[in-house]
Amino acid sequence: MTGAETQTSFRPNELEVCPDGAGHLLGSRCGSCGAHFFPVREACAGCMGRDLETIRFSTTGTLYTFSIVRQSTPEFEVPYALGYVDFSEGVRIMGQITGCDFEDMRIGMSLALSLEPFGEDDEGNPLTGYRFQPCEVEGD
Amino acid sequence: MTDVHILGVGMTRFGRHPDSDAADLGAEALLEAVADAGIDARAVEAAYCGHVFQGMVTGQRILAEVGLAGLPLTNVENACSSGATAIREASLAIRAGEHDVVAAIGTEHLTSSFKGALTPDPSDPEAAVGATMPGVYAMRARRYMEEFGMTREQLALIPVKNKANAARNPLAHFKTPITIEDVLESRPIADPLNLHDCSPVTDGAAAVIVMSDRALRKYGGDRAVRLAASALRSGSVDVEPVSMTFEPLTWATAQDAYERAGIGPGDVDLAEVHDCFSIAEVLRVEGLGLFEQGSYPAAVERGEADISGRLPINPSGGLIGKGHPLGGTGVAQVVEVVRQLRGEVGDRQIEGARVGVAHCRGGKAVGIEGAACTVQILVR
Ligand SMILES: [Zn+2]
Repeated sequence: MTGAETQTSFRPNELEVCPDGAGHLLGSRCGSCGAHFFPVREACAGCMGRDLETIRFSTTGTLYTFSIVRQSTPEFEVPYALGYVDFSEGVRIMGQITGCDFEDMRIGMSLALSLEPFGEDDEGNPLTGYRFQPCEVEGD
Repeated sequence: MTDVHILGVGMTRFGRHPDSDAADLGAEALLEAVADAGIDARAVEAAYCGHVFQGMVTGQRILAEVGLAGLPLTNVENACSSGATAIREASLAIRAGEHDVVAAIGTEHLTSSFKGALTPDPSDPEAAVGATMPGVYAMRARRYMEEFGMTREQLALIPVKNKANAARNPLAHFKTPITIEDVLESRPIADPLNLHDCSPVTDGAAAVIVMSDRALRKYGGDRAVRLAASALRSGSVDVEPVSMTFEPLTWATAQDAYERAGIGPGDVDLAEVHDCFSIAEVLRVEGLGLFEQGSYPAAVERGEADISGRLPINPSGGLIGKGHPLGGTGVAQVVEVVRQLRGEVGDRQIEGARVGVAHCRGGKAVGIEGAACTVQILVR
């Protein structure tokens, strides 16, 4: 392989990493009732419909709640901020939050998806995962 | 259909057991339950054993230790509700008419199988981004504080109450009462939760002997307690984000149990609830309908949940004070309720208690509001 480094998603079923470095969280949209799910599901929990299509979620959301985690498993360096982010499609997705001092975090703040180095695979190759970073929202 | 009765209960000391394993602990609890029931061990027709991290055939190893190998034995894994689910399965075997005397055991040697923060299964998308169970409950605590104005000091009163109760329980992991300051100054685990807000890593086991009407007539027993309901649900997938300060899963499971028992929350004299973290006790008792949403922290402050209070919660010390050996927990809750209803618990006795509830909830997976929940109602 030559040229630009290819990024590899840490979990391709949940995070799509495009060649241009952009990325999206993936989930399902029910073709019958319109409900959205994260992660991808086989059937709709709302109407039991099976015509689910895999979709890309919007890349900004609102912080529902958060914690500063100070004890975790060995693969995560502590402390880190962990939060639940609500998206306009009607899903709530957990992720770490970076780019913000712990004391400046508040429920309701706007956050944007951020693709970042996230561990490595079994052969030691770097992987790309996601976190959320504070952002300005248009019209806010 | 027959009623289901609990005639015998047994429980090991909860704490660290470096010289025993999960099967040893389960065997000790089972033998005590059989002796407490006053029956010959050979009267037991089947057994269910709840555990989480103890590996294959832990239940069979228990039966082998006590001379009962050969019985139909089912190992049950349902996260922190494993032991409670074993009791439910035992009760179903009785109700179905398949067996008349069944043992339910819950055991865990957690100190040898686990360290640090409990997490969802590593394959889970939330575990992959750093979810820990303390972290998830800390987030629920922060949201509850924001919505209902609960103070950090009010939250600290729950471990203070439960460790005071545990100090009166000779089988509890913790023997020393603590203060609000102790809670606030303990090591931060996941803000706003500190070490004293968390249940400990505990070894222990508990067992009960359940039986049919027919068996109860045979073995007699004015010490029997009726298991009026043993409800189980798994968490549903949210179609849209729901409040994390209320538990639809606990609520729905409780409604199943109340309906089956013909009993409402107003009839309950005491409850053992799944206080894996301080905030969890708040969410449980409100989900059970025992306290209105948003009202529990102030009720604790007024002493309503104390052993001497209007509605004692976790008189055993709960998971925070008594300890939390995952598989053992749900069975130990029922052991406490049975002993309370029989009037056998000495200086933590709730006078005149007639109806008790045991609530367990365990596990977490992405997009699911809790994995497994049990609510059992006991009546004397
Ligand atoms: Zn649908």
